[in-house]
Amino acid sequence: MNIAVCIKQVPDTHTIRIDEKRMTIVREGGDNVINALDCVALEAALDLKARRGGSITVLTMGPPQSEEALREALGYGADTAILLSDPAFAGADTLATSHVLARAISRLEPFPDLILCGKQTSDSDTGHVGPQIAEELDLPQVCGVDEIHLEENALVVKRLSDGLVETFRLSLPALLTVSNALCAPRRPSFGDLEAAFSMGSVRTWRLDDLGLNPDEVGASGSATWVVKLRSAPPKARGEIVSGPTQDLVDRLIKKLEALSVIDEESRSQ
Amino acid sequence: MRLEPTMKQAVIRRTTRKYAEERLSAAAMEMDSTARFPQEIAREMAGLHYFGLEIPAEYGGAGLDSVSCAIVIEELSRVCAAMGLCVSVHNSVATYPVYEFGSEEQRRQFLVPLATGRHIGTFCLTEPNAGSDASSLETIAVKDGDSYILNGNKVFVTNGGASGINLIFAISELSEKKKRYSVFIVESDREGLEKGPVEDLMGMRGNPVCPIVLHDCRVPASNLLGEEGKGLKIALSSLSGGRIGIAAQSLGIGQGALDTSLKYSKERYQFGKPIGRFGAIQNMLADMATEIEAARLLIHRACAMRDKGVAHTKESAMAKLFASEMAVRATRLGVQIHGGYGYSKAYPIERYYRDAKVCEIYEGTSEIQRLVIARELFS
Repeated sequence: MNIAVCIKQVPDTHTIRIDEKRMTIVREGGDNVINALDCVALEAALDLKARRGGSITVLTMGPPQSEEALREALGYGADTAILLSDPAFAGADTLATSHVLARAISRLEPFPDLILCGKQTSDSDTGHVGPQIAEELDLPQVCGVDEIHLEENALVVKRLSDGLVETFRLSLPALLTVSNALCAPRRPSFGDLEAAFSMGSVRTWRLDDLGLNPDEVGASGSATWVVKLRSAPPKARGEIVSGPTQDLVDRLIKKLEALSVIDEESRSQ
Repeated sequence: MRLEPTMKQAVIRRTTRKYAEERLSAAAMEMDSTARFPQEIAREMAGLHYFGLEIPAEYGGAGLDSVSCAIVIEELSRVCAAMGLCVSVHNSVATYPVYEFGSEEQRRQFLVPLATGRHIGTFCLTEPNAGSDASSLETIAVKDGDSYILNGNKVFVTNGGASGINLIFAISELSEKKKRYSVFIVESDREGLEKGPVEDLMGMRGNPVCPIVLHDCRVPASNLLGEEGKGLKIALSSLSGGRIGIAAQSLGIGQGALDTSLKYSKERYQFGKPIGRFGAIQNMLADMATEIEAARLLIHRACAMRDKGVAHTKESAMAKLFASEMAVRATRLGVQIHGGYGYSKAYPIERYYRDAKVCEIYEGTSEIQRLVIARELFS
C-alpha cells in the first residue's frame, strides 16, 4: 500500500511569537516541530505499512528549514521525503497550499492508494488543507478519523462527530484527516534519526518542477488573506461568589448589567 | 567550530527533552525518595538507543557524534540527573572503551549487549584507599593458565547495582620497580564477583551506586581488554570522554535549575509583584544563564575536538571543572530564589542542589581537573 503523508513544520506552542505588523507567525529563531496531528497521521501510515507493506512518502510545503521536519519523519520510518519549496509559494493561504500539495501528489509514481493528513495544524487551526486536496484530486475523503480498518480494496473508518459515531466505507484511493484519538505516535530511536540525517539530500520540487504558474501559488494564488493578527488577551480570572441564593441572584444581575450583557428590558423578563 | 546546532542536533535535543519530560519527570522524584533504579524505564530507553549513543549501528548503537551525545545527557539530566548519570557513565567509560580497545570477538560478545542496553555497564576504578590517587589501588589480577584470578574491593561503582558487565581496573604486574595495570571485562554473574548494598547518598539517589568485591574471581584471558599492562592508557582515554559526559550532566542540572527558577520568579508574588521584577533575583538569574551558556560552549568545543580526533585533555578537564562548579552555584541560587519553598521536598530544586555536589567530586575532583589543566599549560 503506497501512502502519502502531508506534514507541516509549525512553531512549538511554548515558543510561538507573532509579528503583528506583517500579520504572520514568526517562524525563525524559535523551536519548530512537526505538527502534532501530522505525527498521528504518520504513525497511522507506519501501522498500515506494517500490516500491508508498501511505502510511505512524506511531503511538506515550506521554506528550506522544513527539511528538518522531513528528516525527522524519515527517522520515524517514512521511506521518501519531498520538500516543496519555492519563494513563489510564500504567503499562501490554505487553498494555494493545498493546490501545491495536490499537484505534487499527482506527480508521485505510483499514485498513492491513501493520503493522510492531520485534521488541523496547531498554528492555523483551519482544517482546510486535507479536504481541499481531496477535492482537487477528486478523491473520497473523511475528516477527523478515529479508527481505520483495512479491507481488501477499501477502508472502513470511524469518527466521533457531534456525539455520534459515524462509520464510512471508502474505496481507494482516498484521503483521510486524522484526530488525536486514532493512535499515539511512536518515539524515534537515535539510530533512526542519525540514519535519516546522514542520508543524501532531500528531493526538492520547485514551481517549475510542479508545472505551476506563479499566479496559482503563494499570496497570488490565495483566495483569503489575514487582515489582523494579535495575541489573545489573557483570560481574566473569574470571580467565585457564595452566600444565600437571593443575594447571589441580585449580585449576578448587577454584574451582568454592569457588563452590558443584560439590560433593563431583559432583566424585567 | 559551528556555534549553532545542526538540524539533527536540534531534533535530538527536542526528542530527548520530550522523552525526559514525559517519562522521567515523575520518576525522578520517586527515584530520589525510594533510591530505586527504574528497570522498566531503562528497558524502554534501551530500545531507543540511549545505551549505545556513540557506538556504530553495526554493533547495535546509534552512531551519534559527540555533541549529539552531550545534548542527550544534558537533556536527561535537566529532568533526572540520576538517569543522566547512568547513561553518561554507561556510554563513556563502560561501553566506549570496549569499542575502542576490544577485539572483534569482544565487540560481538560484550559491546553489542552493552550498546543495545541488554546489560548496563560500569567502570570500576575507585577503591577504599584509592580515589584521586588511583595508583594506590590494590586490586590484583594474577595470571593462571589461560585465566586471571582477580581479588580486590571496588567502591562507589556508578550503576553497580544494576550492571551486567563491569570493567575492572587491576594491577596485572607488580615488581619492585614498576606496577602495570590492565582492564578486565567481568560479567556480574561470574563466580567470585559480589555486589554490596546500594550506597545511601546525598544525591543521585536513583543511581544504584554500590561496592563490588572480587574474591578469587576467575576470568578467562579472553576477557582482558586491550593489551596486558596497557590499562592506564585505557583508563586515561576513557576518562577524557567521561569528563565530557559529566560536564554535560552538570550542564543539564544547571539548566534545569534555571528553568524552574525562572518559572517560579514569574509566579511568586511578593510586595505586590512577581519576584522576577526585583533586581536581586534578576541578577541571580542572569548569572546562572551566563554561566550555563559558557559551560555549553566549553563542552561543545571539547566534543568538536574529540570528533576530529584531536587531543582534548585540557579542554575536557576545563569543561568538567567549569560545568560542575557552575551546577553547584546555579542550584544554590535556585534554592535561594525559591526561598522557603526551595528548602522543601515539595519542590524539585532542593534535589538539584543535592545532585549537583557530586559533580565536583567524581570523574576526577575539581582539584584533579585543575592539576590536569595546569600540567597541560606547562607542557
